Amino acid sequence: MQFALPPRKSVPGARSSRLPHYRRKQLKTIAIFAFAVIFILYLLSHFSSSSSTSTSTSVAPAATAGVVIVTLLDYEQFSESYISKIVANREDYAKRHGYTNFFASVSDYNEAFGDSPRSWAMVPAVRHAMARNPTSKYFFHLNAHALIMNPAQSLKSHLLERSKLESVMLKDMPVVPPDSIIRTYSHLKEKDVDLIVTQDSEDLNPGSFILKNGDFARYFLDLWFDPLFRSYNFAKAETHGLDHIMQWHPTVLSRTAVVPQRYMNAFSDSTGASADGAYKDGDLIIRFPACGQSTTRDCPELEAYYKIWQKKYKSERDS
Amino acid sequence: MSLSRSPSPPPGRGWSSPGLTPGSGSSTPRGYSPSGASLAPSGISWAAAKAKSDEVRGYPSFSTRNSGFFSRQKHRISARLPSFRGETHSYVDKHQYGRAHHRHGGGHGPFGVLLWRGRSRLVLGLFLLWIGYLCFWSTIVQLYRRSALGGGRKFVIILGSNVEGGVMEWKGAREWAIERNSIWNKQQYAKQWGYELEVANMLAKKRYSHEWRESWEKGDVIREAMRKYPQAEWFWWLDLNTWIMESDTSLQSHVFDHLDDRVYRDINEYNPMNITHPLPEFYLDDLGRALESDGDPDSLNMLLSQDCTGFNLGSFFLRRSLWTDRLLDSWWDPVMYEQMHMNWEHKEQDAFEYVYQSQPWIRSSVGFLPQRTINSFPLGACGDENNLQVHYQENDRDMVVNMAGCMFGRDCWSEIHDFRELSNKLNRGIWRQLMDSWRGTYDEADSTDDDDGQ
Repeated sequence: MQFALPPRKSVPGARSSRLPHYRRKQLKTIAIFAFAVIFILYLLSHFSSSSSTSTSTSVAPAATAGVVIVTLLDYEQFSESYISKIVANREDYAKRHGYTNFFASVSDYNEAFGDSPRSWAMVPAVRHAMARNPTSKYFFHLNAHALIMNPAQSLKSHLLERSKLESVMLKDMPVVPPDSIIRTYSHLKEKDVDLIVTQDSEDLNPGSFILKNGDFARYFLDLWFDPLFRSYNFAKAETHGLDHIMQWHPTVLSRTAVVPQRYMNAFSDSTGASADGAYKDGDLIIRFPACGQSTTRDCPELEAYYKIWQKKYKSERDS
Repeated sequence: MSLSRSPSPPPGRGWSSPGLTPGSGSSTPRGYSPSGASLAPSGISWAAAKAKSDEVRGYPSFSTRNSGFFSRQKHRISARLPSFRGETHSYVDKHQYGRAHHRHGGGHGPFGVLLWRGRSRLVLGLFLLWIGYLCFWSTIVQLYRRSALGGGRKFVIILGSNVEGGVMEWKGAREWAIERNSIWNKQQYAKQWGYELEVANMLAKKRYSHEWRESWEKGDVIREAMRKYPQAEWFWWLDLNTWIMESDTSLQSHVFDHLDDRVYRDINEYNPMNITHPLPEFYLDDLGRALESDGDPDSLNMLLSQDCTGFNLGSFFLRRSLWTDRLLDSWWDPVMYEQMHMNWEHKEQDAFEYVYQSQPWIRSSVGFLPQRTINSFPLGACGDENNLQVHYQENDRDMVVNMAGCMFGRDCWSEIHDFRELSNKLNRGIWRQLMDSWRGTYDEADSTDDDDGQ
């Protein structure tokens, strides 16, 4: 590089202390002005910059770990023996993996859902479970007409792990089967997933879903439970409400992973189930969708499977 | 003209101003008369030092006579000073000499002269700085505010213009005048503080017409602006019929540096719609039932004001965040719209009032500003009697006026015009007045044209 000035050393007597006085004064003046300008800029930056730069939206302490199983029991409809079976099944599973159970009664939410169908009660029930367990990370809603058939399987290794979830989630599939023009995202990552849900043959099925605690959960549940959705007379009430939200609101869909039905919502037979949605031995969950529609107090179909589970549970406990 | 270049020695010690002696014209004082520079403090002669410094500089061409604008100007400016120096020179010289003598204990006769030259340079420098300040300071400040350091880029003003333009009714001279003036007003404000201004064209579109409605237009416009200005944090929606009265007030100093004091989150403080707050539902978490959400200003994502009948979205802020994405996404919903379109006369405003009440997650991030902070009304909106909560107060120098509802039986243009004149009157600054005087008169003429054009 070419220097405009030769090095100072080569010029004897040209050191700064020998600079003429006026030059020094000039330099001093310049320095003072430079300092003043910098100071003013500093003041400006100090006073005019807005106080906060973060765009963080988290308004609650982040949940760290833990799973809460939310089961909504209808004490007016179910018999006591039926309820005790369901409770035993859930408590066994929770005990094995250190999960927490949250049993809610439909009648508690009578005021909340008002004139709308009773099945809407599951939404405030999950919200309630979140309020009661603010530090838990996952909320697993499971319909009362279902049994956990493979209790050794933890939710984490079965579904929640990153590699597992990303490999099983359905990508670029119609959100509502069979031919919704809205399709699930094909580039979704586990860290962006706040809701895991399955489809049956016609709809997204809210009988079994996992929701991650946080701002999204509040948003999703509050939106879903909006009075205008409840009063709309959706033929399948909250199920169609969910279909609707999923197809119209990308901020919900973009945080939702749809997984194959048998991962967490296998039907007892293929009626109404998606392709390959019927229960096979070894599946985590068995659902009895027909029980929800019938007017019988209990769920006779469940009896056989409960016995199988009981036997397995007993033999495992004894061994 | 006194700036003539013919040499005429002033009284006293002869010509001492730089510029006319041989070798002058440069910006360094090399051309001073030898008598004034016989010895430098160190004992090295001035001539020798000068030669050395020439050597060091190695820029012979630099001393070319009148080579640059500055040297010419400097001569002109300095040529005005000799009489002053001539008059006081001898006295001050003695004085300075004495002092120099006292301090250094040596004979430094020329030292005082040098000092004096330094002082005149100081005066000159200050003068130039002052000129520079007058001409460029506001530009520099604006550039700074626009820069990453200044924080101006964090704010975008979105102005809805051309409302239903060209379809519902033809725009007349008054409508054009309103539009032009309102845009100019926001342009000035945005420029002054380094903000971005997005003028949104609210032309009637099929997708926003009643039968086709796919979303709320305001929401779409804001989303668009968020995409366009990825660095911005806060987006300020302003209706066309608004006037920023105090353009010298920044948004930061007015609102955002004091979110704690300026914003109330408990709607009971002013609750014209009697919204139940906090929510009583037992199944909600503490946040959902809190009176003031979490109380942390960082969780505020929307700031708006209420008028005498409820929420007013003529002037409101949205912050870029996940919360805002969700609001803009869920604000309009076909199932809700289908049921409520007959009731929601004010479209997104009514819809927002609804979701604020029905969905707890929204409350957690909404804050309210007292109406007159960002949305003063003129008399005639919300009643004709002066209401200290609602109406513009000249003495308090309210920042923004919103001629809300002026299209219903009032005269939008005359209201805007009056407030514009009032704002000009109130903000007659000294320097800005000078700078903007030509623009003010231009605008004056402009508005007269508009008046004539009706």
